[in-house]
Amino acid sequence: MAQIEIKDIRKVYRVDTEKIVALNRINLSIEQGEICCIFGTSGSGKSTLLNILAGLEKPSHGSVLIDGHDICKMSEKKLALFRQKNVGFVFQSYNLMSTLTALENVALPLQFRGMDKKKRNKYAMEMLKSVGLKERMKHTPNQMSGGQQQRVGIARAFVARPKIVFADEPTGNLDSKTTKEVMEIMIHLARKHHETLIIVSHDRDIAKYADRIIYIIDGNIKSDEPNESVLKN
Amino acid sequence: MKFRDKLSMCLGNLYKRKVRTLLTTIGVVVGTCAIVITVSLGIGMQMATDQALASMGDLTLITVYGYGISSDQTQLDENFFQTVKENEHVVAAMPSISPEWGSMKITGGNNGRYVYESTINGVFMEDLEAMGYTLREGEWPETFTDDMILMGTNSLYDFYDSKKTTNNYISSWSGKDPFVNLDDRFELMITVPEDSTKKAPTYRVQPIGIMEENYNLQPSSSYSIFISYNAMKEWITEYKRLNGIKVDRNETLKFNSLVVKCDDMNNVAEVEEWIQSFGFDTYSMETIRKPLQDQARQEQLTLGALGAISLLVAAIGITNTMIMSIYERTREIGVMKVLGCKINDIRQVFLMEAAAIGFMGGLFGVLISEGVSFAINHFGSGVTGESWEIVSGMATGSTSVIPWWLVVAALIFATLVGLVSGIGPANRAVKISALTAIKQDS
Ligand SMILES: Nc1ncnc2c1ncn2[C@@H]1O[C@H](COP(=O)(O)OP(=O)(O)OP(=O)(O)O)[C@@H](O)[C@H]1O
Ligand SMILES: [Mg+2]
Repeated sequence: MAQIEIKDIRKVYRVDTEKIVALNRINLSIEQGEICCIFGTSGSGKSTLLNILAGLEKPSHGSVLIDGHDICKMSEKKLALFRQKNVGFVFQSYNLMSTLTALENVALPLQFRGMDKKKRNKYAMEMLKSVGLKERMKHTPNQMSGGQQQRVGIARAFVARPKIVFADEPTGNLDSKTTKEVMEIMIHLARKHHETLIIVSHDRDIAKYADRIIYIIDGNIKSDEPNESVLKN
Repeated sequence: MKFRDKLSMCLGNLYKRKVRTLLTTIGVVVGTCAIVITVSLGIGMQMATDQALASMGDLTLITVYGYGISSDQTQLDENFFQTVKENEHVVAAMPSISPEWGSMKITGGNNGRYVYESTINGVFMEDLEAMGYTLREGEWPETFTDDMILMGTNSLYDFYDSKKTTNNYISSWSGKDPFVNLDDRFELMITVPEDSTKKAPTYRVQPIGIMEENYNLQPSSSYSIFISYNAMKEWITEYKRLNGIKVDRNETLKFNSLVVKCDDMNNVAEVEEWIQSFGFDTYSMETIRKPLQDQARQEQLTLGALGAISLLVAAIGITNTMIMSIYERTREIGVMKVLGCKINDIRQVFLMEAAAIGFMGGLFGVLISEGVSFAINHFGSGVTGESWEIVSGMATGSTSVIPWWLVVAALIFATLVGLVSGIGPANRAVKISALTAIKQDS
């Protein structure tokens, strides 16, 4: 069985009396260590799918099995614990804690796990080094550029060695040069520890980095193919 | 999450919003001050009242008077004495009987030259010490015998010289010694009719000491000689026999007075009322104590209500601050949730923030209260009105007292107020959907 099994996922939003079908019967399975890009136009349902995969949203129908556990049936409490153990998250708008330094931000997921300060700072330090921000560890988010902030965000997503890292438009706010840097770091980190990485994007250039591109149109999977260019290399 | 991390997160959040934290804290400070100062004034008042009352004597005593009792009502005699002793709140009762005026006298000195014809009381000699009588001279004996007498403070001066018709008195304030002293020979003599052939019987009596003056005690410790109740009872019978006074077989010996000691001053009112219901006149400190205490309580209640209201306002302030803080931090809370922060940890951080505001407010409130208390005691007077000054005048002059337990209680209470105010907001924070939170624009 694959690491992630999505069966018959359907998501319908109700706004007043109107029904909006964001996802229409999605079936997917993703293996451990795969780097996938959920690709599609704006409003096609990419974020909705990602949020359901991460347990942030419940589908109207269907099930999401991660390592055999149906996360759609978990309580809020269990989900928090599940995310703490298995999931990392990279946001489009970074979402760093403005009062904390880069080091503290990276160490946050470890702090939530109850790791003591000395130990978690050591891990966070290593992470910051591997995203090339060793010199910035004492800086707060507003003292850093967008690209630097996103690198801190990536370090934070990977620091606890999650099984899966989700990234919703991670480069949406960055220029093309920085986008390249950030994508390369992310791919490198995922490969290094054989972690599953699921990226949401509407940008063809981003999709190029993935092993597998899942193309979504209007809540349906239009195509689901290995990325030729990556496979060629 | 470790407790230390939660604490530092909580303090960090408070520090980040310094001004608002400060303003909210001030609310708690004011509330705490109001309550602490109120209670401290109350305690000061209570202490002053207690002190004033203590100086008035034993508050548990009730004196039942033996006069003004008509023949068709309950009599103040040994039967009633038994009734009183059976009351659960009565720990002791002491009757006092006196001979009819002129029926007995005590002589002292050479051949009984000096004569005492004033009050003689038959009392329970062995109970006197417990009733609060103290000795100026002499000591309480181990065992009491019927020939013992106890002199009132000024009783020795009441012996007059029977050999003279003028200048036969020495007054107690003359500074001179009385005619007799405790080492003299004293005798009690029962009067017989002048035409009687019988010789007046005399009994040798032995003074054990002189009582210290105490106006709060009944029978009087100043102008009276005490003698054993049983002996007096016999001598009264003897007197009646010798003087041919007929005694109805059903008639009992009437007490002069009966002093009743209650187990607690709070039961005095009840016991006194009960005794009065038999038709007796009584006297106790209750008539003075009650209004004093009622007034003190009234003032405390008024001030306490003000304090409670200000703390309630402070509590609303805390809740308001927390809710605002949650609105601002919606996104932050959402991110924490997405990053796997446990729901209980989030709740606890918020509760700690609210409790910390309460605690800090309590701490500063207590400190300021100490200052205000000092100011009241050193510069202020008549804070709470005239009657209060009368009482405080009798006391030490300190009017605001903050004992250590009040400090601890205020801190705990303020912290609890914060904590309780934070429950609602914390639950709200926990319910924030991670998804809507991160979708929100920064
Ligand atoms: N909370 C919601 N209530 C109602 N409709 C919603 C809600 N969230 C999403 N939708 C709708 O569902 C559809 C899919 O939205 P989704 O956010 O998944 O799109 P997307 O592919 O991520 O687009 P973008 O690239 O612009 O982020 C859209 O039509 C959107 O309007
Ligand atoms: Mg989206």
